[in-house]
Amino acid sequence: MQQNSIMLFFMLLVGIGTIFFVSIFMSSLNADKDSTGVKNLLKKRFWFTLILIVVLGIFAAATLPKSPYFTFANETPSTVIHVGTMQFSFFLSTKPIDPKSPSGETIEIPHDQLVEFRVTSFDVNHGFAVYDPSMRLITQVQAMPGYVNNLRYKFTEPGKYHIFCLEFCGTGHPVMQATFKVI
Amino acid sequence: MFRYFICFFTLACFSFFVYANDNHSELREEQNIYGKIYNAPLHLSGSSKVTSVESLYSRKPLIVALVFTRCYGICNPYLLQLSENIKQLQSNTDFNVLVVSFDPRDNLKDMTNLAKQYRLENNRQWNFATTDSINEFINSIGFNPKWDSITQQFDHDALLVGVNEKGLITKNLLGIRTVDDLQLMIRSIHNVFIPSYRLPTKSNIFSCFNYDPKTQTNRPGLGLLFVALPAIITFLIVIIIVIKSKRAAA
Amino acid sequence: MNIESLKLKKISALWIIVILVLFIASIVLGILMRLNQGKVIEQSPLTFYTNMTTHGLTMIGIWFAAGMVAVNYLLQRYVKTSYGVNLFAFILTVIGVVMLWITTYAGKFSTGWTFLYPLPFRDLGSESWSTPLFLISLTVLGVGWLVWSVSLMAQILKKYTLSQAFAWQHFKSNASVETPPFILITTVTLIGVIASLIAAVIVIILYFAEYFSHGDFVNDALLMKNLIYFFGHTIANEMLYLGLAVIYEIFGEVSDRPKWKMTWYISLAWNCAMIFILTAFFHHLYMDFVQPQALQIVGQLASYLASIPSAAVTVFSIVAAVYGVKVRWSIVNLLFFLGVAGWVIGGLGAVIDATISNNIMLHNTLWVPAHFHTYNAMGNVLFSLGFFYWFSTQYVDKLVLSKLTKYTLALLIIGGIGFLMAFYVAGANSIPRRYSTYPVELTSGPYLAKVGALFASIYLIAILIFFYNIAKRCFVILSASSR
Ligand code: HEM
Ligand SMILES: [Cu+2]
Repeated sequence: MQQNSIMLFFMLLVGIGTIFFVSIFMSSLNADKDSTGVKNLLKKRFWFTLILIVVLGIFAAATLPKSPYFTFANETPSTVIHVGTMQFSFFLSTKPIDPKSPSGETIEIPHDQLVEFRVTSFDVNHGFAVYDPSMRLITQVQAMPGYVNNLRYKFTEPGKYHIFCLEFCGTGHPVMQATFKVI
Repeated sequence: MFRYFICFFTLACFSFFVYANDNHSELREEQNIYGKIYNAPLHLSGSSKVTSVESLYSRKPLIVALVFTRCYGICNPYLLQLSENIKQLQSNTDFNVLVVSFDPRDNLKDMTNLAKQYRLENNRQWNFATTDSINEFINSIGFNPKWDSITQQFDHDALLVGVNEKGLITKNLLGIRTVDDLQLMIRSIHNVFIPSYRLPTKSNIFSCFNYDPKTQTNRPGLGLLFVALPAIITFLIVIIIVIKSKRAAA
Repeated sequence: MNIESLKLKKISALWIIVILVLFIASIVLGILMRLNQGKVIEQSPLTFYTNMTTHGLTMIGIWFAAGMVAVNYLLQRYVKTSYGVNLFAFILTVIGVVMLWITTYAGKFSTGWTFLYPLPFRDLGSESWSTPLFLISLTVLGVGWLVWSVSLMAQILKKYTLSQAFAWQHFKSNASVETPPFILITTVTLIGVIASLIAAVIVIILYFAEYFSHGDFVNDALLMKNLIYFFGHTIANEMLYLGLAVIYEIFGEVSDRPKWKMTWYISLAWNCAMIFILTAFFHHLYMDFVQPQALQIVGQLASYLASIPSAAVTVFSIVAAVYGVKVRWSIVNLLFFLGVAGWVIGGLGAVIDATISNNIMLHNTLWVPAHFHTYNAMGNVLFSLGFFYWFSTQYVDKLVLSKLTKYTLALLIIGGIGFLMAFYVAGANSIPRRYSTYPVELTSGPYLAKVGALFASIYLIAILIFFYNIAKRCFVILSASSR
């Protein structure tokens, strides 16, 4: 679960940060009148900055290729699901959806096959977020009026998946949801 | 000073009103995406043998145009635009074009004449054809022309269908479109993932980016200027302040 | 005491009282939201979303204003500032905020503080007049603040040349004129503020254009989203920098330490920060696949880069000022020190979220409010509270660290951490943001909301005590005569 590792990583950083600030504060409380503080600050600053840049650089290099725009880019999807969104419902269909009289159908997606969601909106901005059977967010894309966004995903686990709207769209925003099955 | 900016902007905005936008997005383009095109038998003009759609797309990805030769309407400008657009492409040999008639009255001679009209009868890239399975073929595309017995014409869309070498429809283009849109289609029939695109509207004057398939990137549109505008105006304000305070000091 | 500086003092005191009153009201709205999400109370979704919109806009507005008040006040040490403009901004801010509350509470305007296009035109349940009134109130606020920022900018550039204001002469080995860090940071920040306010002006004009064209003119949703986040993201970041400028200026003197000096790396860092911060807003559009990939990548890189100057320079300056030396601790520099810690931790949460491959799991979950509340409620607010304390005690009392103050600070920290953790954990549990109530499937949502409400109430108690201490002194300043 990516979220768990994110949280763990974050807590680790927070822990380091807290120790850092607390120890600096304590060192000031414990200092006597004529102590002079940090020496060679410029040098330390230089190394700190250099390390920070390298770490962030490695981070960027490692994470950028995992961006959703590049995943499954070289495969042809075997299933297409058209997604129309409207205050406050989702329409999912294997056929394109007519904005003037939108309608959806029950969706079943075979597992381990590439599916492409072609997501658009008929009114305001909406979100299209897929939650797995354990109610964890696994992928998402925005639904923007006037544009079609293509989201590709390969479901590995069969089960009931939920879709929630993740862009605020009005008072019905929290009840805007749908489900589909992965078989 | 602030007032001037307001005025400038209001003027700028109102002058765009002529290019009013249509809000209804055209979703028919989304039809039958990744569906398989019907493998219809084809009679190609300039050849006596019967071939099939499959034998064409399995050689090279295909762009399919649907026409009828007795059309008084869109068919001609649309074919003309297509041939002009293809001429403008830098590399235009990695796909073929198939022009198929959906009118049972059309015979091979009609199609040959049509090809001659555009001087394409000897161009190997272009195939003009009739088929005996018109209905199956157009149904697999989701194209449905309506016969009007009074005018003796079909009421129909100008539709281009992009087919990859597996015979799957990857993109449709409705109406007469620019070379950029054609490029987008060509990329999609070569199985390049396009994460997003703009639905056709009457005008994209305010869109931030227009996809430029030549470089596989989005070209800045007028909208992008608007995104950069805050920074530009801020820069100008600072310059004005500097000049003013210099003058005051002098 | 001369009359000019007394006038400035009075208007600043007035600002502070108004800001704190609005702050308390907005915290109450925040707690109400958490209680509703926790199913402790039951409000209609419309009420929840008007509360949310009011809370967001008011908070952004007052903490931006707080930063400006502090910067304006301290700027007086170096250049002459205009009292009239300050007063003008105050009046427009009050009018703007009153109009805002009318649009949200009488007009039921409830689009969230980002008023993403085209939601204001399809805002179900709101009065039809609320959208234009909302745009007008934004205009009033925008004009007031724009005039204020441009005026401060102009005053700085009257005394310093452009390159001095940016401290470019410090790149050379022997700079003849020293630019105080405060001037550099203020200049850099004001530029960002002006740019973001102009983005807001463009958005407002485009909205009005559509509103008055009766459907002939339709905006582009992608362009509007870019512009709105140019405004929203930038102003939310720049208001933190206003707070930092204050720290650079007075941390030394309240701590009995030397004043922070300008060096080439401080100059370099802030000049870089100015550029990065203007492009980092692209990270709000990661999930809009239509945005060109180049800009998405620029968004991630700029977000990363924006963290380097602040970490390498500001954090190090604090370390240099504190580490291993005797510091006279008072409530002022304690709040500053804590605020920097909160700011850094919030920044870590932000950098994680600004990574595209994480963003797909975190975008618009409660992780987002989690990190921005960290550097606001536990960062920027503390910067400003520190300034308020310093300002109010400067003339009325001596700065002492009483037992009560220590306990209050402890309440603030405990309340803040608990309130924020509830957000972070919910974000990692995929609980969406901006949900008035949670779908039954998301079981941890209501539970964490209750925890958040509880700790937020503790935070509120601390703020009430601070408010009492600060406001009572501000009233003394207000009633002082010019003798
Ligand atoms: C302890 C004090 C505070 C409490 C209890 C509180 C509570 C909340 C809650 C419950 C939300 C809605 C979260 C959701 O999306 O479900 C929210 C949103 C927000 N808060 Fe706070 N908050 C506090 C302090 C602040 C501060 C200091 C700021 C300063 C800038 C701030 C700015 C915002 C903004 C901008 C939003 C987003 C509104 C929107 O989504 O339109 N809050 N807050
Ligand atoms: Cu929605």
